[in-house]
Amino acid sequence: MKLYLRQAVRKYRWQYSGMVAWFIQRATGLLLLFYLFLHVETISKLSQGPVAFDAAMATFSSPLFKLLEIALLGTVVLHALNGIRITLVDLDIGMKKQRHLFWWVTVGIGILVFLAGAIPIFLDAVLKV
Amino acid sequence: MFRSAWEWYLQRVTGGLLIVLLAAHFWVEHFMTAQLRSGNLTYEAILARISNPAWQAIDIAFLIIALYHGLNGLRNIILDYGRLERRGVAVLNIALVLVGAVWAWWGIMAFSRL
Amino acid sequence: MELNITLRVSRHPARNGKAFDEFQVKLEEKMSVLDALFRVQREQDSSLGFRCSCRVGMCGTCAVYVNRIPRLACSTLVKSLESDVVTIEPLPHYPIVKDVAVSLEPFFEQWRRAKPAFRPRNPDSAELARIPKDSKYRLLTPTKRDCITCGACFAACSIVGMNDHYLGPAAINKAFLRILDPRDAAREERVKILDRSLDGVWRCHTQFNCTAACPRNIDVTDSIVRIKRALLWPGRLLKP
Repeated sequence: MKLYLRQAVRKYRWQYSGMVAWFIQRATGLLLLFYLFLHVETISKLSQGPVAFDAAMATFSSPLFKLLEIALLGTVVLHALNGIRITLVDLDIGMKKQRHLFWWVTVGIGILVFLAGAIPIFLDAVLKV
Repeated sequence: MFRSAWEWYLQRVTGGLLIVLLAAHFWVEHFMTAQLRSGNLTYEAILARISNPAWQAIDIAFLIIALYHGLNGLRNIILDYGRLERRGVAVLNIALVLVGAVWAWWGIMAFSRL
Repeated sequence: MELNITLRVSRHPARNGKAFDEFQVKLEEKMSVLDALFRVQREQDSSLGFRCSCRVGMCGTCAVYVNRIPRLACSTLVKSLESDVVTIEPLPHYPIVKDVAVSLEPFFEQWRRAKPAFRPRNPDSAELARIPKDSKYRLLTPTKRDCITCGACFAACSIVGMNDHYLGPAAINKAFLRILDPRDAAREERVKILDRSLDGVWRCHTQFNCTAACPRNIDVTDSIVRIKRALLWPGRLLKP
């Protein structure tokens, strides 16, 4: 039974990585559309003057919101890099290598870009060093 | 409306534009100075930037491109389920254009009284 | 050394309230999944239902879900699965006839919609068609025309699973072959069907499940993406 499970996981991860990528793209896309709504909501406070806006900004500079911001960065990076992968495939670049593209471009480079952005935010705004 | 092929194509083009705009946006609002990295994005800081009409144009274009990309993506998700007939799609298209227009107006109006 | 594998076979309708039956089968070198099913049917349970015809992977009748992956039962060696439990289920997205045998009707409904039959431009022409060896048709078809309509891609495609009207990978691949053919006369009709935003090629999101599932290794997704690119300028595509 364990063998069967291990095999299924292996096969799925490899054979169906395009489907995994599609699911990630869809989920992150919906999250980002929802975030765009929240973002415009915040921006619209600009028209209520400096007091209202800076009060909203003060909330967002708390460590909890900074962690959420790091999560947002991860969502954006996944969606963007996977979007590049999809566009490459649509242009007939890397058609035969699409699984490698997913694991190396989307996940691999994604982790590097995510860390490059997340570490400064984490050090400066969450730990406040 | 666009033909499906052009919707597909524009989704890729706007996606590419969004990557560039978003990278610039993240840099300008979150990373450029130590003050921004610690999360102190103030009214004055935004006012100083947004008083430049070029930045206003970029931000408004950014919002409209993001809305097209996001709402077209949502439309694709809805169409995937195959529950809509021709008339349903027409209603969906009109609804999404209206939502996009209101959304864009809401964002643009934020800058109007600065 | 004698090795036994457990064959878990899905039963429809459920027998004695169980959706799966387990059988112990002696593993043999070069034993295919279909061989194992026959062994069970002959020696243990003659009521077991499954479909097969040619047994050499060229008819596309015996496609089943083997360990949750669509495969031809006759061309899948049990040993290659590297598993002591082999679960066999009917292909998803199809109505089940009995046990692991399904009806391919939904598949062929879409297949017919894509107008798979060749319609010659000059039906009365006595001349042999000349296909230049560097033409697109000549270069692309050898890898794409091997479809045996087994329905594995249709079962693997998650868009087919959510959208009952979607053409599906095999039908699009077939239509693509016909459109490429310089002798074909039904190009315009096929393009119109493929271009439909509700159930045409635009519902494909390049998950590559069809390419992964195809037992004949056809790059089905490649055909779909090629059509998408061509549809940006269909005028160019419609020229003979």
